[in-house]
Amino acid sequence: MLDLALVPRTERSRSAPIVVPLIAVVLTLICGTLLLSLIGKSPAAVVHSFFIQPLSSLNGIGEIILKAGPLILIAQGLAIGYRANVWNIGAEGQLIVGAIAGATLAIIFETSNSVFLLPAMMLAGAAAGAAWAGIAAFLRVRFSASEILTSFMLSSVALQLLYYLVTGPLRDPMGMNFPQSIVFGSAALFDVLIPGTRSNMSIFVGLAATVLAWFFMSRTIHGFRLVVGGMAPDAARYAGYSSARAIWLSLLIGGACAGLAGVGEVAGPLGMLQRNLSPGYGYAAIIVAFLGGLNPIGIVFAALLMALLYVGGDFAVVSAGVPNASATILQGMLLVFYLAASLLFTHRIVRKSVKVAA
Amino acid sequence: MTTRRELLALTASAVALAATANAARAEGKVKMGFIYPSPVGDVGWAHELDEGRKKIVEKFGDKVEAVTAENIPEGPDAARTMNQMIADGAKLLMIGSFGYMNDGLKLAKQYPDVAIINASGYKLDANFGNFQTRNYETSYIAGLAAGYVTTSNILGVVAAYPIPEVIGIINAFTLGAQKTNPEITVKIVWLNSWFDPNKSQEAARSLVAAKADVLFSLYQDTPEVVALAEELGVYSISTSSDMKKYAPKKYLMGMGIDWSPHFIDVAAQVLAGSFKGTSYWGGMKDGAVHAASLTPDLTPEQKKVTDDAIAAITAGTFHPLTGPVMDQDGTEKLAAGVAIADGDMASINWLVKGVETRIPQ
Amino acid sequence: MIDTLVFVIGGMLAAATSILFASLGETVSERAGVLNLSVEGMMATGAAAAFGIATLSGSHALGFIGGGLAAGLLSMVFAALVLVFYANQVAAGLAVGILGLGISAFIGKPFEGNTIEKIPKLDIPGLSDVVLVGPILFHHDVMVYLACAMIFIVAYVLKRTQLGRMIRAVGENPQAAASNGIPVRLVRCGAIGFGGFMAGIGGAYLSTAYTALWAEGLISGRGWIAVALVVFGSWLPFRVALGAYLFGGISLLELSLQSHGVKLPSQLLSASPYLVTILLLAFISRDQYRLRLSRPMALGQTYRNES
Repeated sequence: MLDLALVPRTERSRSAPIVVPLIAVVLTLICGTLLLSLIGKSPAAVVHSFFIQPLSSLNGIGEIILKAGPLILIAQGLAIGYRANVWNIGAEGQLIVGAIAGATLAIIFETSNSVFLLPAMMLAGAAAGAAWAGIAAFLRVRFSASEILTSFMLSSVALQLLYYLVTGPLRDPMGMNFPQSIVFGSAALFDVLIPGTRSNMSIFVGLAATVLAWFFMSRTIHGFRLVVGGMAPDAARYAGYSSARAIWLSLLIGGACAGLAGVGEVAGPLGMLQRNLSPGYGYAAIIVAFLGGLNPIGIVFAALLMALLYVGGDFAVVSAGVPNASATILQGMLLVFYLAASLLFTHRIVRKSVKVAA
Repeated sequence: MTTRRELLALTASAVALAATANAARAEGKVKMGFIYPSPVGDVGWAHELDEGRKKIVEKFGDKVEAVTAENIPEGPDAARTMNQMIADGAKLLMIGSFGYMNDGLKLAKQYPDVAIINASGYKLDANFGNFQTRNYETSYIAGLAAGYVTTSNILGVVAAYPIPEVIGIINAFTLGAQKTNPEITVKIVWLNSWFDPNKSQEAARSLVAAKADVLFSLYQDTPEVVALAEELGVYSISTSSDMKKYAPKKYLMGMGIDWSPHFIDVAAQVLAGSFKGTSYWGGMKDGAVHAASLTPDLTPEQKKVTDDAIAAITAGTFHPLTGPVMDQDGTEKLAAGVAIADGDMASINWLVKGVETRIPQ
Repeated sequence: MIDTLVFVIGGMLAAATSILFASLGETVSERAGVLNLSVEGMMATGAAAAFGIATLSGSHALGFIGGGLAAGLLSMVFAALVLVFYANQVAAGLAVGILGLGISAFIGKPFEGNTIEKIPKLDIPGLSDVVLVGPILFHHDVMVYLACAMIFIVAYVLKRTQLGRMIRAVGENPQAAASNGIPVRLVRCGAIGFGGFMAGIGGAYLSTAYTALWAEGLISGRGWIAVALVVFGSWLPFRVALGAYLFGGISLLELSLQSHGVKLPSQLLSASPYLVTILLLAFISRDQYRLRLSRPMALGQTYRNES
């Protein structure tokens, strides 16, 4: 052990994208079971309820799809920005604003049966999410205010906006003053994907975003310019690309995706606008984006893994009796281990005796 | 405060519980699932619901198996927990919050053979019932006592949201206080948050600064307001649980809740296969609510007044909201001698005269 | 009226104390060039650990130390990620924040909803009885004064000491600092650890002194407010402290106005600290020269020393 050393890589590793997540998962499993056996839970039972049970019923699979949908969608949008060094961490707020915009249409056209209602809601949600993120882009481009801080703080503002609307203008007039809107009509809802489960067609929005993200990043000149414009503003300006454009594009795409995911929630499992819109999808998607190596395909797997952790967490609470904090701890561990193991993307382990000068 | 020994015992019993839960799986007991919006803790809403669950287990022994999930937010994830319990074979679901109503109703339609009961909701179906308690009956008693003990004639309420149940409780409380002390005014701080102990504690302080000398902790799941009242030397009232242990000197009254009569009734129906979704609204006469730990500071005459009111409400001869009752603008809402109808009480959206704070819009 | 004045102005000092500890810690961390977004999770961990320790040991002092150390330990996970494994600061902060929230719920579970004796208020003979001034300034627990003292200590250390110069150098340009012989990673690690310890103390203040209760969700976003306040105060301890007291005062004023029957748009008030901070951020960032005076230029950038 002692004669091992880390040496920076000179070229991209081929195996790292597989090895790194694997290390993270294995370490999380080991530490997680250790932790749970500390409080007297049988590791086998916990692993079974966390990872096997959800996958052995249609209902469990449906729940995983339902949960992975918004994570994929948001993470694809965020990853584009992250590759360009634009740090939008306010997807939660963009999701909320998108959900509000979509829900407003569903509430105004409460009795509509039009097939255009849902597409219109999606459009409104994407536009609203993009506009919300656009505030951060404007502040960054015009005033060079850090988008990390502004996008994040705009999330807190969005949350208060939601609270105001569900206790005021958008509240169900017949809802006994409870802070929530009317229940939407069926024209404002996504169709069910697998009958008998809650999963719905909005997963295809996430998958479409995946294809688009892959195409955009690997096959178009815009994608290339975006990365260059963000990573090396001076070099980009020299080459005629603009870093302002990278900022605008990154935030608008990220915001639109998050806004769309917000519509997916109100027009999906919720079927109404309420205070608890998102169990932190906007933040979980940041984890997913990193866990997926900022790669469109990797993100799909990362989102499925995160969704499995959420759903498995519920199974473990109900069937194995573990505290519901354990799922949160496991998610935290997974990302911590992943970030640590990510060193292997840029470094490799060598024996000191054969160490080459780097 | 829980001592170390109690903690150890608690952990031991939790382990034992988990062990019995696993053992039960094999034997084909009737499974029942309980979902709480907040952590069970020592006191509060979820704690009282869980007490009801314990009574079911006590009563039916090894015929039933009860699983619980606590601190489940009223968001898109709640339905997953319900689904999960049904998939695990639960025949009865107790979903302990209004916010679970629509998800629960969807599941009830999907699984007609599963009985679901929903706390404080209002929708009904063949296999979907709702339940709540007539807390306004006990808050009226608390009001009577508050009217006697206050010297500033200002009573303070810390409340989350102006939903009808909360408004009804505040109205009965105010009318009770006015009965024993016509000079009463009631101030409310709306927290606009279901759960933020730091903020509710600050709200309680602000009410004391505004001269309130009785604090009403309305649906605060944690005991900080009661403990603070003791510290500041003012009286306190709490919903759901008896919180006397947090304020041994100045605790005015607890609005005790006992879900066990209803829960046992429902469980028996489910075991017999005869469950029908109904609206249960349990009051003093059902043993669902009671005045707990009423302060010993009342004189014998004052104590007699509260005792008589309890007797009259239990006998069904008196309703706390009986006219003449005016709203905050002085409009007569109930004519002399007329008691409010159950339907109007369930959707009440006006506060009585004497309450200073308005309902936020 | 006097009671209300005492409540708002006097209460402001105590209401701001937990956030003040956390934001002063974050200020030091950010001045060293490290953006640590895990404050919420660290505060929660500190709060749960302090409550547990104080309950079991019966000592508040042990509780505070334990809470600070628990959060400090957690911040070392963050430090390892960003300093040893070259992880992105934003991602590492979020990861450790989530971990911290999970850990706090886990260790706090046996104490859920319990209360504890608060630490006593100091009564200073003579001073505490002075009309108005007494109850506003001289009727608090020791941590309130300690938080005040920390403003001066942090400001002094950052501005006037060798250590402060090293911290600032590392935050401005770590490569240059390294070539001047400053141990960049050690300084950053210390700054992160200090930030973690302070966040833990802030959390401990809520659970053992201010509200004296542990429940999951006790922090309810105060950690994020602490992060925002550092920007609001443009990385200067006195301005950060001003922001914290202002924030505490405004939230108490809102409750106080409500209890006097004044109707308020409470959501607008709740959003105002963020809106003001966003505007202020735009204002101070607009002028690059002015910004350079306080904003650590290397904030958020990964430092690698091998290039």
